Amino acid sequence: MQTRIHFLEELSRLNHDILAMGTKVEENLRKAAEALKSQNVELAREVKASDEVVNALQLKIEDQAAVLIATQQPVARDLRELVTVFKITDNLERAGDHAVHLAKAAIKLAGEPPFHQIDRLCRMADIECAMVRGAVDAYLNQDADAARKVAAEDDRVDAEHKQIFREAIEIMREQPDQIERASRLLTTSGFLERLGDHMTNICEAVVFMVEGSHVELND
Amino acid sequence: MTETIKAESPAAGNGKFDVDGLDLWYGPAQALKGVTMRIAGNSITALIGPSGCGKSTFLRVLDRMNDLIDGIRIEGKVLYDGVDLFGQVDVIELRKKIGMVFQKPNPFPMSIYDNVAYGPRVHGLRARTPAERRRLDELVEKSLANAALLDEVKDRLHKSALGLSGGQQQRLCIARVLAVEPDVLLMDEPTSALDPISTSKIEGLLDELKKSYTIVIVTHNMQQAGRVSDSTGFFLHGELVEYAPTKEIFFNPRDERTENYISGRFG
Repeated sequence: MQTRIHFLEELSRLNHDILAMGTKVEENLRKAAEALKSQNVELAREVKASDEVVNALQLKIEDQAAVLIATQQPVARDLRELVTVFKITDNLERAGDHAVHLAKAAIKLAGEPPFHQIDRLCRMADIECAMVRGAVDAYLNQDADAARKVAAEDDRVDAEHKQIFREAIEIMREQPDQIERASRLLTTSGFLERLGDHMTNICEAVVFMVEGSHVELND
Repeated sequence: MTETIKAESPAAGNGKFDVDGLDLWYGPAQALKGVTMRIAGNSITALIGPSGCGKSTFLRVLDRMNDLIDGIRIEGKVLYDGVDLFGQVDVIELRKKIGMVFQKPNPFPMSIYDNVAYGPRVHGLRARTPAERRRLDELVEKSLANAALLDEVKDRLHKSALGLSGGQQQRLCIARVLAVEPDVLLMDEPTSALDPISTSKIEGLLDELKKSYTIVIVTHNMQQAGRVSDSTGFFLHGELVEYAPTKEIFFNPRDERTENYISGRFG
C-alpha cells in the first residue's frame, strides 16, 4: 500500500500544477480581453510574457506524468487519468496560445476607433474563461456530468463567432476601407472559436477518464 | 454470488477448455465457486488474484493434479477439446497432453540431454537403434530450440543440468515439457524466481509458443499478465470476478474489485 500512497501523493502534486496551468490560461485570457477592451497595450504584452509560464508548466507536468507512468506502471482508471493529463496539458497550451493571439489583436487594434464587435469578442472570452475553469475543475473532481455541461457552453461561443463572421462580411462588403480591420476581427474570432474547441476536447478527455469510453461532445 | 463478467473468446467455435459452474471444496472449505470460463486455443490466458483466491487450484483442475488431494470434491463441468475432463479420461495420457511448469525450476539431477529425453523415454521412445537415437536427438534439440535454450547449451548437452542458471533451468523445464509434445502448457508463476533478463526471455518465448500451444499462466506479476496474455481472469475468494481481453482488464475493467486489485488498492 506504501506504493499506492506514493502514487497518490505524486498525482496530487501533478494535479496541483494542472490547476496552476488552468488558472494561468484563464488569467491570460481575461487580461487579453481586458487589454482589447481598454486598448491597454502594456496589459496585452504581459499576456505574451505570461504564456511562457503556461508553456513551462506543460513541460513540467508532462515530465511528471511520464515519470509516474514509468515508475508506478498505473493501470485502469489511474492510467486513464495520466493519459488524460497529456490531453489536458496539450489543449491548455493551445488555449494559452489563443489567449496570446487575442492579446496580439489588442496590440494591433489599440489606438484605432473601437467597434462594437469587440464586445462580442470579449463575451466569447468571458464564456471561455468559465469553460477553462470548469473543464479543469471537472478533471480535478473527476466529474463527467460537469464536463458535459462545460462542453455545452461551446454552443454559445460558436453562436458569437457565427454572428461576428456575418457582421465582418457585411463590413467588408459595405466599407471596403475597413477590410483589414474586419479580417483581423474574423481571424481573432476564429482563434477564440478554436479555444472553445480545445476546452471541449478536455471535457471529452474527462468523460473518457471517468467512464472509460470515448464520446464526441458538440458534434 | 456475483455474476462473472465474461470475455468474448477470441476463438471461433468451442474453446480449448470450456468450464461451466465449477465448484471445488477442500474438505469443508470451498476454494472455487461457480467458475465459468472458456479458454481459447492458441492463446495465452493469465489468471491473477491475491494469494488464496483459487487461481492455482483452478490451474490444477485443468490437468487433474488435484486428484490426489484428500477430501477434495469437485462439481461442475470442465471440457477439454469437448471431452469431459472428469469422465472416462486416461489421466496419464491427459498429463502428456497438458504440461505443467512450476514456480521454481526443478531440473532432475542428470544431464541436460537426459532431462529433456526423460519424458519421451518414459512414454516409450527408446534409443536402441541408430534411427531411434537420431529421433531422440532430434526431439531433444527441437525442444531445447523451442524453449530458446539450445544456443546456450548445445556444447554441453551431456553436462549436469544443475550447473545452469535459474533462468536456463526454467527454460530447460519448459523444454522438458515440450519434449512430450503436449497441447497445453500450464504455468504456475513460472518467472517469479527469476531475474528480469531471464523473465524477459521466458516472456518472449511464450509469445512464440502460443502459435503451437494453448497457455494458461498464473502470475502474481500484474505487469507480466498485461505484457504476455490475450485474456485475463481475475479470481477473488474462489470466484472468477472478471474475465476479459487483457487490454480491457488493464485499461477499463468493468468490476470495481478488479480495478481495486490491479491498481494496488488491496492484495
